Amino acid sequence: MVDSPTLTKKFQKELNAGIASLVLLSVLNKKTKPMYGYQIAKLLEDYSGDASFMKQGALYPVLHSLENSGLLESKVEPSVSGPPRRYYEITSEGRETLVIWQGVWKQMKSFVERAIKGA
Amino acid sequence: MIKSIEEYLNLLKTELQRSDAATVQDALADAEEHLRAALANLLEKQPEMSEEAALDQVIEQYGSPSETATAYAEVERRTVPQLARENPKTESAIARFFGVYTDARAWGAVLYMLIAFVTGVFYFTWAVTGFSLSVSFALFIFGLPFALLFFLSVRGLALLEGRLVEGLLGVRMPRRPLFTQSNLKWFDRLKELALDRHTWFSILYMFIQFILGTVYFVLFTTVLSFSLSFIAIPVLQEFFNLPTIQIGSGVRYFFPTWSYPLLVFGGILLWTTFMNLARGIGQLHGRMAKSMLVTD
Repeated sequence: MVDSPTLTKKFQKELNAGIASLVLLSVLNKKTKPMYGYQIAKLLEDYSGDASFMKQGALYPVLHSLENSGLLESKVEPSVSGPPRRYYEITSEGRETLVIWQGVWKQMKSFVERAIKGA
Repeated sequence: MIKSIEEYLNLLKTELQRSDAATVQDALADAEEHLRAALANLLEKQPEMSEEAALDQVIEQYGSPSETATAYAEVERRTVPQLARENPKTESAIARFFGVYTDARAWGAVLYMLIAFVTGVFYFTWAVTGFSLSVSFALFIFGLPFALLFFLSVRGLALLEGRLVEGLLGVRMPRRPLFTQSNLKWFDRLKELALDRHTWFSILYMFIQFILGTVYFVLFTTVLSFSLSFIAIPVLQEFFNLPTIQIGSGVRYFFPTWSYPLLVFGGILLWTTFMNLARGIGQLHGRMAKSMLVTD
Protein backbone atom coordinates (compact mmCIF):
# COMPACT_ATOMS: atom_id res chain seq x y z
CA MET A 1 0.00 0.00 0.00
CA VAL A 2 1.38 3.40 -0.93
CA ASP A 3 1.34 5.93 1.89
CA SER A 4 0.65 8.91 -0.29
CA PRO A 5 0.28 11.66 2.38
CA THR A 6 3.73 10.82 3.77
CA LEU A 7 5.22 10.63 0.29
CA THR A 8 3.64 13.96 -0.62
CA LYS A 9 5.00 15.52 2.53
CA LYS A 10 8.46 14.22 1.71
CA PHE A 11 8.19 15.49 -1.86
CA GLN A 12 7.11 18.92 -0.61
CA LYS A 13 10.04 19.02 1.80
CA GLU A 14 12.54 18.12 -0.89
CA LEU A 15 11.14 20.80 -3.18
CA ASN A 16 11.32 23.37 -0.38
CA ALA A 17 14.99 22.68 0.35
CA GLY A 18 16.18 24.69 -2.64
CA ILE A 19 13.26 27.00 -3.19
CA ALA A 20 13.28 28.42 0.34
CA SER A 21 16.65 30.08 -0.29
CA LEU A 22 15.41 31.64 -3.54
CA VAL A 23 12.20 32.86 -1.91
CA LEU A 24 13.96 34.35 1.13
CA LEU A 25 16.56 36.13 -0.98
CA SER A 26 13.82 37.53 -3.26
CA VAL A 27 11.75 38.78 -0.34
CA LEU A 28 14.70 40.49 1.29
CA ASN A 29 15.81 41.90 -2.05
CA LYS A 30 12.45 43.70 -2.50
CA LYS A 31 12.54 45.29 0.94
CA THR A 32 14.68 48.32 1.59
CA LYS A 33 14.56 47.85 5.34
CA PRO A 34 16.03 44.85 7.21
CA MET A 35 13.37 42.37 8.37
CA TYR A 36 13.16 39.94 11.28
CA GLY A 37 12.07 36.34 11.03
CA TYR A 38 8.47 36.78 12.08
CA GLN A 39 7.93 39.65 9.60
CA ILE A 40 9.29 37.52 6.78
CA ALA A 41 7.09 34.58 7.82
CA LYS A 42 4.04 36.87 7.89
CA LEU A 43 4.79 38.18 4.41
CA LEU A 44 5.20 34.66 3.03
CA GLU A 45 1.89 33.75 4.63
CA ASP A 46 0.25 36.54 2.63
CA TYR A 47 1.84 35.25 -0.57
CA SER A 48 0.86 31.63 -0.06
CA GLY A 49 -2.77 32.35 0.78
CA ASP A 50 -4.56 29.36 2.29
CA ALA A 51 -1.99 26.81 1.19
CA SER A 52 0.94 26.48 3.54
CA PHE A 53 4.07 25.24 1.84
CA MET A 54 6.47 25.11 4.72
CA LYS A 55 6.52 25.51 8.46
CA GLN A 56 7.69 28.92 9.59
CA GLY A 57 10.24 27.32 11.88
CA ALA A 58 12.02 25.86 8.86
CA LEU A 59 12.77 29.36 7.53
CA TYR A 60 15.24 30.21 10.29
CA PRO A 61 17.89 27.57 9.59
CA VAL A 62 17.78 28.62 5.93
CA LEU A 63 18.29 32.25 6.97
CA HIS A 64 21.32 31.18 9.04
CA SER A 65 22.76 29.23 6.18
CA LEU A 66 22.30 32.13 3.74
CA GLU A 67 24.01 34.40 6.22
CA ASN A 68 26.78 31.89 6.61
CA SER A 69 27.40 31.92 2.87
CA GLY A 70 27.59 35.72 2.89
CA LEU A 71 24.38 36.26 0.93
CA LEU A 72 22.63 37.84 3.90
CA GLU A 73 23.83 39.80 6.88
CA SER A 74 22.08 40.30 10.16
CA LYS A 75 22.14 42.30 13.33
CA VAL A 76 20.41 41.80 16.65
CA GLU A 77 18.34 44.63 18.04
CA PRO A 78 16.42 44.77 21.30
CA SER A 79 12.65 44.80 20.99
CA VAL A 80 10.14 46.64 23.14
CA SER A 81 8.38 43.41 24.01
CA GLY A 82 10.06 40.06 24.35
CA PRO A 83 13.51 38.84 23.39
CA PRO A 84 15.86 40.74 21.04
CA ARG A 85 15.20 40.30 17.32
CA ARG A 86 17.59 39.39 14.55
CA TYR A 87 17.12 41.59 11.49
CA TYR A 88 18.22 40.22 8.12
CA GLU A 89 19.36 42.20 5.09
CA ILE A 90 20.58 41.09 1.66
CA THR A 91 24.24 41.75 0.78
CA SER A 92 25.53 42.88 -2.62
CA GLU A 93 26.82 39.32 -3.12
CA GLY A 94 23.33 38.13 -2.30
CA ARG A 95 21.85 40.39 -5.00
CA GLU A 96 24.29 39.11 -7.60
CA THR A 97 23.56 35.51 -6.63
CA LEU A 98 19.83 36.13 -6.72
CA VAL A 99 20.00 37.25 -10.37
CA ILE A 100 21.72 33.98 -11.27
CA TRP A 101 19.28 31.92 -9.21
CA GLN A 102 16.30 33.60 -10.82
CA GLY A 103 17.69 32.59 -14.19
CA VAL A 104 18.11 29.01 -13.00
CA TRP A 105 14.57 29.02 -11.64
CA LYS A 106 13.10 30.28 -14.92
CA GLN A 107 14.83 27.54 -16.91
CA MET A 108 13.83 24.96 -14.33
CA LYS A 109 10.22 26.08 -14.38
CA SER A 110 9.82 25.88 -18.13
CA PHE A 111 11.65 22.54 -18.15
CA VAL A 112 9.34 21.06 -15.53
CA GLU A 113 6.23 22.46 -17.18
CA ARG A 114 7.21 21.05 -20.53
CA ALA A 115 7.95 17.68 -18.93
CA ILE A 116 4.56 17.61 -17.21
CA LYS A 117 2.65 18.61 -20.32
CA GLY A 118 4.72 16.31 -22.44
CA ALA A 119 4.73 18.73 -25.34
CA MET B 1 -0.62 19.78 23.88
CA ILE B 2 2.08 22.31 24.61
CA LYS B 3 1.03 24.77 27.32
CA SER B 4 3.74 27.42 27.24
CA ILE B 5 6.59 28.73 25.14
CA GLU B 6 9.02 27.49 27.80
CA GLU B 7 7.62 23.99 27.40
CA TYR B 8 8.03 24.21 23.61
CA LEU B 9 11.64 25.32 24.00
CA ASN B 10 12.39 22.49 26.41
CA LEU B 11 10.90 19.97 24.00
CA LEU B 12 12.88 21.48 21.13
CA LYS B 13 16.04 21.22 23.20
CA THR B 14 15.38 17.53 23.82
CA GLU B 15 14.72 16.94 20.12
CA LEU B 16 17.98 18.65 19.21
CA GLN B 17 20.01 16.59 21.69
CA ARG B 18 22.23 15.12 19.01
CA SER B 19 22.86 18.38 17.16
CA ASP B 20 25.82 20.69 17.54
CA ALA B 21 25.56 22.72 20.78
CA ALA B 22 25.83 25.94 18.79
CA THR B 23 22.91 24.94 16.57
CA VAL B 24 20.80 24.23 19.64
CA GLN B 25 21.49 27.67 21.00
CA ASP B 26 20.54 29.30 17.68
CA ALA B 27 17.40 27.21 17.29
CA LEU B 28 16.17 28.08 20.79
CA ALA B 29 16.76 31.79 20.28
CA ASP B 30 14.99 31.75 16.90
CA ALA B 31 12.01 29.85 18.28
CA GLU B 32 11.66 32.09 21.31
CA GLU B 33 11.85 35.26 19.22
CA HIS B 34 9.31 33.97 16.71
CA LEU B 35 6.82 32.38 19.09
CA ARG B 36 6.68 35.38 21.40
CA ALA B 37 6.19 37.82 18.53
CA ALA B 38 3.57 35.61 16.85
CA LEU B 39 1.67 34.98 20.08
CA ALA B 40 1.56 38.66 21.02
CA ASN B 41 0.42 39.55 17.51
CA LEU B 42 -2.35 36.95 17.43
CA LEU B 43 -3.69 37.85 20.87
CA GLU B 44 -3.75 41.50 19.89
CA LYS B 45 -5.79 40.74 16.77
CA GLN B 46 -8.13 38.29 18.48
CA PRO B 47 -8.36 39.30 22.14
CA GLU B 48 -11.26 36.89 22.72
CA MET B 49 -9.02 33.92 21.99
CA SER B 50 -7.63 32.00 24.98
CA GLU B 51 -3.87 32.04 25.32
CA GLU B 52 -3.72 28.28 25.04
CA ALA B 53 -5.65 28.19 21.78
CA ALA B 54 -3.55 31.02 20.41
CA LEU B 55 -0.32 29.22 21.29
CA ASP B 56 -1.65 26.10 19.67
CA GLN B 57 -2.29 27.97 16.43
CA VAL B 58 1.09 29.70 16.52
CA ILE B 59 2.90 26.38 17.02
CA GLU B 60 0.84 24.80 14.26
CA GLN B 61 2.23 27.41 11.86
CA TYR B 62 5.77 27.36 13.24
CA GLY B 63 6.06 23.60 13.31
CA SER B 64 6.18 21.07 16.13
CA PRO B 65 9.43 20.74 18.10
CA SER B 66 10.37 17.64 16.14
CA GLU B 67 9.62 19.29 12.77
CA THR B 68 11.70 22.31 13.71
CA ALA B 69 14.55 20.14 14.98
CA THR B 70 14.58 18.21 11.70
CA ALA B 71 14.74 21.43 9.70
CA TYR B 72 17.79 22.63 11.64
CA ALA B 73 19.51 19.28 11.50
CA GLU B 74 19.07 19.13 7.73
CA VAL B 75 20.37 22.60 7.01
CA GLU B 76 23.24 22.15 9.48
CA ARG B 77 24.27 19.02 7.66
CA ARG B 78 24.61 21.03 4.44
CA THR B 79 26.31 24.11 5.88
CA VAL B 80 29.77 24.16 7.37
CA PRO B 81 31.39 27.31 8.78
CA GLN B 82 33.15 29.26 6.04
CA LEU B 83 36.68 28.43 7.14
CA ALA B 84 36.00 24.83 8.06
CA ARG B 85 35.47 23.82 4.44
CA GLU B 86 37.97 21.22 3.32
CA ASN B 87 40.88 22.56 1.36
CA PRO B 88 41.49 20.64 -1.83
CA LYS B 89 44.02 17.92 -0.93
CA THR B 90 47.38 18.43 -2.55
CA GLU B 91 49.48 15.36 -3.20
CA SER B 92 52.93 15.84 -1.74
CA ALA B 93 53.83 16.69 1.83
CA ILE B 94 55.99 19.60 0.64
CA ALA B 95 53.10 21.08 -1.33
CA ARG B 96 50.88 20.74 1.72
CA PHE B 97 53.54 22.32 3.94
CA PHE B 98 53.98 25.38 1.72
CA GLY B 99 50.32 25.37 0.75
CA VAL B 100 49.64 26.80 4.20
CA TYR B 101 49.91 30.30 2.67
CA THR B 102 46.72 29.75 0.69
CA ASP B 103 44.83 28.37 3.69
CA ALA B 104 42.56 31.00 5.18
CA ARG B 105 42.47 29.05 8.44
CA ALA B 106 46.22 29.44 8.95
CA TRP B 107 46.08 33.21 8.38
CA GLY B 108 43.04 33.40 10.63
CA ALA B 109 44.89 31.52 13.35
CA VAL B 110 47.93 33.81 13.09
CA LEU B 111 45.68 36.85 13.37
CA TYR B 112 43.84 35.23 16.27
CA MET B 113 47.14 34.64 18.11
CA LEU B 114 47.90 38.33 17.78
CA ILE B 115 44.44 39.44 18.91
CA ALA B 116 44.39 36.93 21.79
CA PHE B 117 47.02 39.00 23.55
CA VAL B 118 44.77 42.06 23.68
CA THR B 119 41.55 40.17 24.46
CA GLY B 120 43.43 38.03 27.03
CA VAL B 121 44.57 41.07 28.98
CA PHE B 122 41.10 42.56 28.80
CA TYR B 123 39.30 39.34 29.85
CA PHE B 124 41.71 38.83 32.74
CA THR B 125 41.27 42.38 34.04
CA TRP B 126 37.51 42.11 33.66
CA ALA B 127 37.28 38.73 35.37
CA VAL B 128 39.57 39.65 38.27
CA THR B 129 37.87 42.99 38.88
CA GLY B 130 34.36 41.61 38.50
CA PHE B 131 34.99 38.54 40.60
CA SER B 132 36.76 40.26 43.49
CA LEU B 133 34.24 43.13 43.59
CA SER B 134 31.36 40.63 43.52
CA VAL B 135 32.85 38.76 46.47
CA SER B 136 33.59 41.84 48.54
CA PHE B 137 30.31 43.58 47.71
CA ALA B 138 28.45 40.46 48.87
CA LEU B 139 28.45 42.05 52.36
CA PHE B 140 26.30 44.92 51.10
CA ILE B 141 22.79 45.10 49.81
CA PHE B 142 23.93 45.94 46.27
CA GLY B 143 26.38 43.03 46.21
CA LEU B 144 24.02 40.52 44.61
CA PRO B 145 22.76 42.75 41.78
CA PHE B 146 26.39 43.57 41.09
CA ALA B 147 27.23 39.87 40.86
CA LEU B 148 24.31 39.42 38.45
CA LEU B 149 25.65 42.18 36.21
CA PHE B 150 29.09 40.60 36.30
CA PHE B 151 27.75 37.16 35.36
CA LEU B 152 25.71 38.67 32.53
CA SER B 153 28.78 40.50 31.22
CA VAL B 154 30.70 37.19 31.28
CA ARG B 155 27.96 35.62 29.16
CA GLY B 156 28.14 38.51 26.71
CA LEU B 157 31.91 38.30 26.45
CA ALA B 158 31.70 34.53 25.95
CA LEU B 159 29.38 35.07 22.99
CA LEU B 160 31.71 37.72 21.57
CA GLU B 161 34.74 35.47 21.95
CA GLY B 162 32.73 32.75 20.23
CA ARG B 163 32.15 34.97 17.21
CA LEU B 164 35.89 35.72 17.08
CA VAL B 165 36.74 32.01 17.33
CA GLU B 166 34.30 31.08 14.58
CA GLY B 167 35.38 33.92 12.31
CA LEU B 168 39.12 33.36 12.63
CA LEU B 169 39.50 29.71 13.58
CA GLY B 170 36.53 28.28 11.68
CA VAL B 171 35.08 26.39 14.64
CA ARG B 172 31.29 26.53 14.75
CA MET B 173 30.19 28.63 17.77
CA PRO B 174 26.79 30.00 18.84
CA ARG B 175 25.50 32.92 16.83
CA ARG B 176 22.77 33.87 19.29
CA PRO B 177 22.83 34.52 23.03
CA LEU B 178 22.03 31.64 25.32
CA PHE B 179 18.35 31.10 25.94
CA THR B 180 17.07 32.16 29.37
CA GLN B 181 13.55 32.41 30.63
CA SER B 182 12.64 36.07 30.46
CA ASN B 183 10.02 36.00 33.20
CA LEU B 184 12.51 35.14 35.96
CA LYS B 185 12.97 37.48 38.94
CA TRP B 186 16.45 38.94 39.08
CA PHE B 187 17.38 36.85 42.12
CA ASP B 188 16.33 33.62 40.41
CA ARG B 189 18.26 34.73 37.37
CA LEU B 190 21.35 35.18 39.53
CA LYS B 191 20.86 31.75 41.06
CA GLU B 192 20.45 30.20 37.62
CA LEU B 193 23.64 31.85 36.38
CA ALA B 194 25.64 30.99 39.51
CA LEU B 195 24.60 27.33 39.35
CA ASP B 196 25.38 27.03 35.64
CA ARG B 197 28.69 25.33 34.91
CA HIS B 198 28.90 27.41 31.72
CA THR B 199 29.30 30.67 33.68
CA TRP B 200 32.24 29.36 35.69
CA PHE B 201 33.91 27.77 32.70
CA SER B 202 33.61 31.09 30.87
CA ILE B 203 35.32 32.88 33.78
CA LEU B 204 38.03 30.22 33.82
CA TYR B 205 38.45 30.68 30.08
CA MET B 206 38.97 34.41 30.65
CA PHE B 207 41.86 33.62 33.03
CA ILE B 208 43.38 31.01 30.73
CA GLN B 209 43.15 33.34 27.75
CA PHE B 210 45.50 35.75 29.53
CA ILE B 211 48.25 33.13 29.78
CA LEU B 212 47.64 31.67 26.32
CA GLY B 213 47.35 35.12 24.75
CA THR B 214 50.75 36.08 26.16
CA VAL B 215 52.36 32.82 25.01
CA TYR B 216 50.85 33.21 21.51
CA PHE B 217 52.01 36.79 21.26
CA VAL B 218 55.58 36.00 22.37
CA LEU B 219 55.71 33.10 19.94
CA PHE B 220 54.39 35.26 17.11
CA THR B 221 56.77 38.20 17.65
CA THR B 222 59.81 35.97 18.26
CA VAL B 223 59.31 33.86 15.17
CA LEU B 224 58.43 36.86 13.03
CA SER B 225 61.54 38.81 14.04
CA PHE B 226 63.85 35.81 13.57
CA SER B 227 62.38 34.98 10.15
CA LEU B 228 62.56 38.56 8.95
CA SER B 229 66.13 38.94 10.29
CA PHE B 230 67.32 35.86 8.42
CA ILE B 231 65.72 37.06 5.22
CA ALA B 232 67.16 40.56 5.68
CA ILE B 233 70.78 39.50 6.42
CA PRO B 234 71.98 39.61 2.75
CA VAL B 235 70.51 43.08 2.24
CA LEU B 236 71.86 44.45 5.52
CA GLN B 237 75.36 43.06 4.93
CA GLU B 238 75.69 43.95 1.25
CA PHE B 239 73.93 47.30 0.99
CA PHE B 240 74.28 48.76 4.48
CA ASN B 241 77.52 47.06 5.52
CA LEU B 242 75.95 46.07 8.84
CA PRO B 243 77.40 42.96 10.52
CA THR B 244 75.13 40.15 11.66
CA ILE B 245 76.87 40.00 15.04
CA GLN B 246 78.84 42.80 16.63
CA ILE B 247 80.56 42.61 20.02
CA GLY B 248 81.67 46.00 21.35
CA SER B 249 83.21 48.00 18.53
CA GLY B 250 85.87 45.43 17.67
CA VAL B 251 84.46 42.09 16.63
CA ARG B 252 82.21 42.28 13.57
CA TYR B 253 80.94 39.01 12.22
CA PHE B 254 79.63 38.73 8.67
CA PHE B 255 78.03 35.66 7.11
CA PRO B 256 79.84 34.55 3.95
CA THR B 257 78.17 35.35 0.64
CA TRP B 258 77.59 31.69 -0.29
CA SER B 259 75.35 31.28 2.75
CA TYR B 260 72.87 33.99 1.63
CA PRO B 261 70.45 31.63 -0.20
CA LEU B 262 70.49 29.30 2.80
CA LEU B 263 69.75 32.16 5.21
CA VAL B 264 66.85 33.48 3.16
CA PHE B 265 65.48 29.98 2.69
CA GLY B 266 65.89 29.34 6.44
CA GLY B 267 63.90 32.47 7.25
CA ILE B 268 61.08 31.48 4.92
CA LEU B 269 61.13 27.92 6.27
CA LEU B 270 60.89 29.18 9.85
CA TRP B 271 57.85 31.33 9.10
CA THR B 272 56.18 28.57 7.09
CA THR B 273 56.68 26.15 9.96
CA PHE B 274 55.13 28.68 12.29
CA MET B 275 52.12 29.10 9.99
CA ASN B 276 51.57 25.33 10.06
CA LEU B 277 51.97 25.32 13.81
CA ALA B 278 49.55 28.24 14.15
CA ARG B 279 46.91 26.36 12.17
CA GLY B 280 47.22 23.45 14.58
CA ILE B 281 47.18 25.67 17.65
CA GLY B 282 44.14 27.46 16.25
CA GLN B 283 42.24 24.19 15.91
CA LEU B 284 43.16 23.13 19.44
CA HIS B 285 42.22 26.52 20.84
CA GLY B 286 38.93 26.42 18.96
CA ARG B 287 38.13 23.04 20.46
CA MET B 288 38.98 24.29 23.93
CA ALA B 289 36.85 27.42 23.47
CA LYS B 290 33.95 25.32 22.28
CA SER B 291 34.08 22.97 25.25
CA MET B 292 34.35 25.82 27.74
CA LEU B 293 32.11 28.53 26.29
CA VAL B 294 29.24 26.51 24.82
CA THR B 295 26.77 24.78 27.10
CA ASP B 296 25.76 21.32 26.08
